[in-house]
Parts: sequence; C-alpha cells; structure tokens
Amino acid sequence: MSPIDYAVFLIAAFATISGFYIQGQEYISSMVKGQLVQSSIIALISFILAYYEHSIDLLILGILIAFLRGFLITYFLDKRVPGRMTYVYESNVNVASLLLIDLAFIVVGIFIIYSIVFTSADLVTKFGPSSILVFPLSLFFQGLFLIGSRRSTFSQIIGYIEEENSLVLFALFLVPVPIIIEASVFLDVLALVVISSILVIEKFRHYPMEELRG
Amino acid sequence: MLVYTLIRTLTQYFFVVLMAPLFAGIIANLKAKVESRKGPSIFQPYYDIFKYMKKQVLIPKGSGLIFKYAPFILFGIYSLIALIVPIVIPEPIFFTASADFLGGAILFSLAAFVKIAAAFDSRSNFTALGAVRALSFNFLSEATLITVFFAVSLITNTNNPYTTNSFLASHFIQNISLEHIFATIAFFMLFLYETGKIPLESSGLAELGMIDEGMSYEYSGKLLSLSKWSGYMKQYILGAIFLNVFFIPWGLQSSFPGFLLDIPVMFLKWLLLIAIVVIIETTLAKMRLFRIQDYLATSFTFSILFLIFSVVIA
Repeated sequence: MSPIDYAVFLIAAFATISGFYIQGQEYISSMVKGQLVQSSIIALISFILAYYEHSIDLLILGILIAFLRGFLITYFLDKRVPGRMTYVYESNVNVASLLLIDLAFIVVGIFIIYSIVFTSADLVTKFGPSSILVFPLSLFFQGLFLIGSRRSTFSQIIGYIEEENSLVLFALFLVPVPIIIEASVFLDVLALVVISSILVIEKFRHYPMEELRG
Repeated sequence: MLVYTLIRTLTQYFFVVLMAPLFAGIIANLKAKVESRKGPSIFQPYYDIFKYMKKQVLIPKGSGLIFKYAPFILFGIYSLIALIVPIVIPEPIFFTASADFLGGAILFSLAAFVKIAAAFDSRSNFTALGAVRALSFNFLSEATLITVFFAVSLITNTNNPYTTNSFLASHFIQNISLEHIFATIAFFMLFLYETGKIPLESSGLAELGMIDEGMSYEYSGKLLSLSKWSGYMKQYILGAIFLNVFFIPWGLQSSFPGFLLDIPVMFLKWLLLIAIVVIIETTLAKMRLFRIQDYLATSFTFSILFLIFSVVIA
C-alpha cells in the first residue's frame, strides 16, 4: 500500500471510532458533536480522494458533505436540543456493555457479509480489494445498533445519519461520483431536514407500544 | 559468548530491579512539581522499601500460607518477566526462551491471580473488598492484554518479543499500520489502569477508588516492602514493553559493549513516558469507580476491533 492508502485507512478508522464515541455518549449535544466529527472525517476522505484522483466531482462532494452534514444538520440538531436538562440527558446508558454488544454486533455482521456476500461478488474498490469496505460496513452496523439501543428520537436520528454517512463512505470507495452526489443531497434534504424535524417535534422519545400487545 | 550473554542478563535484571523504584519516585516528584508542591524526593520509594524492611512483620490472625508467601511469588514472577521481554537489551538473554508474548501475558495474569488469592487469604473483609473490585475490572484488562499481544504477533508474524522489537525497529511503515497504532493506544490505556494512574487511580488511598492498596492493606514489614517493590517492577516492565514494542522500538543497541548505552537510552525513553503520564495525571479528572469498566471496555474495543480489521484487511 502507498502512504496515501495508509492515510485513508487511518482516517477511515477514525470514522469508526467516532461511531463508538457517539455510542458511548449520554448527552445529546455530545452525540451531535460526534456526528459533526464523523461527517468532517468523511468530507476529509472525499477531499483526499479528490486530490488523489484529480476529480472535481469528489471535491464538490466533499464541500457538500462538509456544508450539509458538518454545518447544516449539526446546526439544525443543535437548535432542536431542548434547554432543560431532563431532555438532553439520556439515562440508563451502560457504556461498557453497549460498547461490547456493539462490537459483537459489528464483528458478526461484517463476518457474515464478508464470508457470504463478498466471496461470491468480486468487488474491486478504489483501494484494490474489498478490504477497505470494512470501515463503512462497521459504521453502518454502528448506526443500526444506535437506533436499536436508544429511545430518544435524537439518538435515533443520529443513528440514521451514521448509516447515511456509512453509505456515502461506502460509495466513495466503490461507486462512480455523480450518483453519490445526487443520492447524498436527496437524502440530506428529504430525510434529515424535512422528516427528522417533524419527528423531533412530534415525538421526542420512543417506547414499546402496549396497545399492540395481544 | 556465554559470558557476554551472562553480562547482558545481569545488566537487564539488575537495571529492572534496582531502577524500577526510581521511575516511580520521578513520577511522584514531577507530579508534585506540576501541582506547585515540593513533593517527595525521587528516592522516596527506596527510603520506603528500606524502612519497611526494618519493620516488624504482623500477620493477621487466621491468614493462610498464600498470604504469607504471595509477595515472594510476585517478586519471582516479575523477575522472570523481566528476563523474557526486551525491556533493556534488544537481544535474547538467559531465560528468554522460557516464554513468548502470550506466556508473558499469562505470567501477568498469574501475578494478578496470586495477588487476589492472597488478599482473600488474609481473612480481612477490607482486603477482600479491594480484591472483589479488582476482579470486577480485571476480566476486561486481561482480555485486552492478550488481544494486544495477538495484534503485535499478527503484524510481525511471530510471538517472540525480541523478534517483534527488531522487526518494528527496522520496518518503520509497520509502526503506522492500523493495528499497531490502535494496539498501542489500547496498551497505553491498559498501562494507565495497571499502574493505577489517573483517570483510574486504583492505587490511591481514597476510600472509593482503593483497589491495589486495598489488596495489600494487611501487609506490613518485609512483606509490604516486597509487595511495593513488585509493584514498581510491574510498572517498569509494562512501561518498558510499551516503549520498546509499541511506542518507540528504536534506539537500543545489542553489540558488546554498546549495549551499555541502552541504560541511558531507556532512561530517556522513560522520561518521555513520565512526561506523558504526568500531563495526563495533572489534566484529567479521576473517574468514578464504576466508570473504570467503561474505560476498560473502550481499550478492549480498540484492541479487538482493530485486530479483526487487520485480519480482514490482510
């Protein structure tokens, strides 16, 4: 691997770590900041790839990620966090067990994907074989686990952003550029700004629905 | 050749045994200086060891043989580890072949087991409390220690610590590989836990965080002296493994008599590590007792996740 490959591997690894950071937080504002860091890392990877491949499209994608996720969504989520302490703090977060379950979830998920899907499909990424896809995949499972393990709508939206970040990262390593930009902007505007703003205002927490029990 | 190996062996062993308390003294002194206190002398650990040596040994009523002999066993275990890992001389010496990386990790685990067994054997509720606290955290720290050693074994394709040191010293690019960087972070977090530094501070006398001191609370006289000395050796060994295998594997000489330069080199490396530890100790706040598990879970996550990533990427 060339030094630039090493650099991209390391930066992508920090995206996974930011996922663990978000998973371990109890305060919503810390999770929002974690999301900001994660989006900035993905924007940075896009800039590096733009420089590496001399691609204007990737540069535009990087600027879009930095603006839409790094600034706009963070600003929007930060404004929506209620001022009262009871709302911004999510109780019953056992960091040690959450991290370990998250770890097990990621490992099992990645193992299944690599052993079943990737062995039959011979994927070739921008960094040679499909090994670098381990980072977006781990980020994807982290997002899923964050949605499943928390009750506050904010945490679940941040989990969704993590999943979307993972898809952008996945696409950065695999898919031609124009489609990513279109899909990314579409998802950002529709899902994050429109739907999540309604969700946060209408329903702050999610609990099991007793009414549906037989 | 045999004589050279003997000289190297003796140099490494006596350096560890005799200098380990000095590094503990420098940490305490420097920390006090940063906190605008005069602080104890850097030789205070030596004074303590000699003071306790002269004191009478008191054995609690009802305590068993394990309690009485544990300090000697601990000193023996750390002496053996001091001979099987490259903590001063980067060339194999006598007893190096006794164990590999995993063997070293198991010896650390054995020492922790003996210490906990001795604490229970003292028949004191207070020491048992410290032992139970240690047990509730050690299951994560021991797992991290073993996976971290697996990670370095994977990088270098060997479980021999001397080969690992030599490989990492001669292949710079491997030092910035993913698994090595995160194994280094995980091991450093483990070093802070095992040596009782802030943000964990398991060795302080504060009641709630009293883990290590709690376990040796019933010891006195020579037994306490040996127990403390073993603690200093453990700190030195873990720190030196961190420096020579993970953080800065360069700078050690194996030629004769060039290996004598390893002593000042190790001293300088340790001063750097002490500076890092003092910065952490004086800037971070102490964690609550039950947050220690979160801290250790994070270090375990680092070690095992990047071990798995490295396997996938390879």
